[in-house]
Amino acid sequence: MPPKINPRFVEKVLVAFIREELGKCGCRRGILGLSGGLDSSVCAALGARALGPKNVLGLIMPYGGGFPEDVRDAANLARRLGIRQAVIDISPQIDVYFAAHPTDSRVQRGNKMARERMSILYDYSAREGSFILGTSNKTELLIGYGTIHGDMACAINPMGDLYKTQVRELAAHLRIPAAIRKKAPTAGLWAGQTDEGEIGLSYEELDEILFGLVEGRMSRSEAVAAGHAPAAVDRVLRKIKASEFKRRMPPIAKLSPRSVGHDFLYPYDWGK
Amino acid sequence: MNIVIAQIAPKLGDVAANLETHLDLLEKARKKKAGLVVFPELGLTGYTLKDLVEEVALDPRSDPRFAKFVAKTKGLSAVVGFVEESPAEKGLFYNSAAFVADGRIVHVHRKVYLPTNGLFEEAKFFAQGREFRAFDTPFGRVGLLICRDFLHYGASYVHYASGADMIVCISSAPGRGVGGGDAFETGRMWELMGEAVSYFSSAFVVYANRVGVEDGVTFAGGSFVFAPGGRLAGRAAAVDPDFAVLPVDLAAVGRARRNWLFKRDEKPEVIWRSLERIVRASED
Repeated sequence: MPPKINPRFVEKVLVAFIREELGKCGCRRGILGLSGGLDSSVCAALGARALGPKNVLGLIMPYGGGFPEDVRDAANLARRLGIRQAVIDISPQIDVYFAAHPTDSRVQRGNKMARERMSILYDYSAREGSFILGTSNKTELLIGYGTIHGDMACAINPMGDLYKTQVRELAAHLRIPAAIRKKAPTAGLWAGQTDEGEIGLSYEELDEILFGLVEGRMSRSEAVAAGHAPAAVDRVLRKIKASEFKRRMPPIAKLSPRSVGHDFLYPYDWGK
Repeated sequence: MNIVIAQIAPKLGDVAANLETHLDLLEKARKKKAGLVVFPELGLTGYTLKDLVEEVALDPRSDPRFAKFVAKTKGLSAVVGFVEESPAEKGLFYNSAAFVADGRIVHVHRKVYLPTNGLFEEAKFFAQGREFRAFDTPFGRVGLLICRDFLHYGASYVHYASGADMIVCISSAPGRGVGGGDAFETGRMWELMGEAVSYFSSAFVVYANRVGVEDGVTFAGGSFVFAPGGRLAGRAAAVDPDFAVLPVDLAAVGRARRNWLFKRDEKPEVIWRSLERIVRASED
């Protein structure tokens, strides 16, 4: 397992991170999508502490009447944290699109919905003058379990260096309600979907393999010798490699002596 | 003597703003009767500069902004970190530290060990310093180091061998590891070295780190002073800005060297000959 975190210290670092990175841009407001799941709940709690609850807007964006429990959990969490909330049903625009361009692919429909939510978040961030707080955790980022330009899109990401099992530790410390902490993690792309069912590994096992490969710098054979099933290690390695494109800006064809992305190199916080 | 550690969060790429902070804190330190004020690595510029190095570089001996800092050190000493470009070496940028005392630049150290791995990319943007040289100051002999220099213990040895009573290391060390107490786990690495070097060099070790966040990286703070013999004279806050006023007794160096005769019995000529043999052999 990834090592236990000191959640009190992690909270302090992440709250300072949100406050400073937004503050540099003269911004005090954050916005995020609330799914009723663990990651967005933790992120909302961190945002509320960093910026003040009234400066955080949680958008709950269900598809029609689906997942009513998650909508309720998200709304309850927002109330509990004292952050502002709004519910936007994304089914009208999704239905219009798929009526014209039908598909049987659940993944394609799910990705389209994730990108619709992204589009609404960016529109609202412009209306509000707020920054989007990202909710992708380290486990998801490493195996690419997210929609590029969808739920992975954000201005800053306070969660991205915490494995899922570490997010759970932080959630308990932040007193996220048990109803949210105990539910099976899901991307919510279709009914009955669970992360662990789709990935084929429990988060405990997945995190242990990832931690060995990433922080432990283990080779495949070392990970297997550490007691993991070869098929599981191979699946994780495949997922990591296949999703590198989601963690990077797209390559730019180099022509000139000094090119964007190659040798025109400035800090993200440039001029802020 | 009071040592002040100004554990600040510099503004990235903004020399004017950082200079103001430095001048204000020099004044504040003067009121606290500081003999030495230490600012962090690249305190005048911020750390994650990349291609900004050329925009923030200055020549400490001719730059009017730097002259303001130097003029403010009447009656005390200060260590300040900046990007150096000298007229003799145009286009070469050094990660430098200046020891300034009583309105005069006493010494400029250019960082020798430029970490370039993982999240570090200093050698992509900086030229490498080529020596460690201790120097005399109003309160004793001092050796300067910059961040990673300190983790290569041969660097401290050179200062020790040249008679330094105090080793001052300025730093922009990012924090890593959150499984420990209320500080980053990497803080232990710096304190371990500080304690050991102060113990076996019977010298003061002053470590001034920065705080704040740049491009998602949090700088760990946790600056400290060890008196000779590994005695912690005080430490600054972890992660948070601090202005630590730490009184020290400079006579502790002499006392430590009477108790523990490491310095008297040191044999730099043996070390030198041994190193020379190793270097020669590796070149053959």
